[in-house]
Amino acid sequence: MSRPASLALTCCCLLLASGVSFAQARTDRSPSTQPQTQISALSAPGVGPALSALPSIANLPDAPTPVQTTSSSQTTQQKTPPSSGEPTLQSLGFPTSVTRSNPKEQALLNKRTHMLKVHQTLGLITAVPMVAALFTGPMAKVKGRNGQILREPTPASLDTHMALGSLTSALYWTTAYFAIFAPRVPGVKKRGAIRVHEALAWIHGPGMILTPILAVMAYNQENSGEKVHGIASLHGPVAITTAAAYGAALIAVSWPIHIKHLRF
Amino acid sequence: MKLQLALALLLFTLPASAQAKTPWALVKSTLTYHMTHPLHDVNGVSHTARGKGICEKGECNILIAVPVKSFNSGDSNRDLHMIEATRGAEYPMVVVRAKFPEAATQSSTIYADLQVQFAGQTASYTHVPFQRTRQGKDIRITGTIPSTCSDFKIVRPSFLTVPISNQIPVSVDTTWQPM
Repeated sequence: MSRPASLALTCCCLLLASGVSFAQARTDRSPSTQPQTQISALSAPGVGPALSALPSIANLPDAPTPVQTTSSSQTTQQKTPPSSGEPTLQSLGFPTSVTRSNPKEQALLNKRTHMLKVHQTLGLITAVPMVAALFTGPMAKVKGRNGQILREPTPASLDTHMALGSLTSALYWTTAYFAIFAPRVPGVKKRGAIRVHEALAWIHGPGMILTPILAVMAYNQENSGEKVHGIASLHGPVAITTAAAYGAALIAVSWPIHIKHLRF
Repeated sequence: MKLQLALALLLFTLPASAQAKTPWALVKSTLTYHMTHPLHDVNGVSHTARGKGICEKGECNILIAVPVKSFNSGDSNRDLHMIEATRGAEYPMVVVRAKFPEAATQSSTIYADLQVQFAGQTASYTHVPFQRTRQGKDIRITGTIPSTCSDFKIVRPSFLTVPISNQIPVSVDTTWQPM
């Protein structure tokens, strides 16, 4: 092959290379390059008559204004648009049900959290009169003026015990209300400490029904001059079991406890 | 003559290779948030992240997204509370965009600029180090995003009136493959 021929081949290759380069270049050229191209095209010979036939700028219709999208329950979570070439959230292929914003569910979760926070606070408050009632129960067997052990409670200690028991009961059922009526989130399978916490409610719940009933029975038997007997004599053991289950439920929901470097 | 031909071929192929995109796909991931409280130390794990990356013109752009609901701390009650606190039903996705120079893909430590969209807020973290290891044709990227509750205007949940720590670092363990 002669030297001019090889030079011609090189030139052809260079032209092709530049052609490929343009073909692969991104189409989002800066806006400043486009008007320049248009002007050079319009200033080409023979374009003058065609240009005069075009409508003037004043007669052109207004450009469409951008529509601002607002988030609603039907819209998916919108992101700041990435520059072209960057991967987009849509390209990852998440189902719309996963990426869709759901304000109703958020409201449900907010209500649930609020109710469970009240449940938590009231539950801790309830523990105070419950423990006090446990202590005042055995105190019914106080020493008399002459030092002898009184088999029957004094009116003062009995009243205190009854008041604490009633307060415990009222607070307990109010606490339970906030847990029972907190909205459930559909499709959530319960895992972890909450299962133990809820299971223990099957012990302290019936216990909180039985304890006051047995208390009334024991009170009536003592008032009629009888020694507490039968099922009423289980008032104390049932109350202790109930309090123990309640305490375990408090700890279970907080488990595992981690105090700085000590792990329990 | 041969030299000229070789030069011509080189010139022919160079522009094409210079403009080439290198796409990457996330094939395996473990994202873990760490939450601390004086009485608790909690890790929430998700394996459901999806991601893509494109390296072109000397820069790599990575996108990773994960549903907020997919994080599992081992306690469904806590997870629901986390979704509530982070407004996860309203803003269900955590989206992380990372940028770093393409040249860094060959080094063992990649310093990336991150933009994290979470809980309806966007936070940026610059020069976050990630460790890169090659495992066959896979690339494993590990690191920690130093996120905090205040970055995303999250009201810190409290237990026994004591709020959780503001720091909620997220450990990232991802495996990438060329597409």
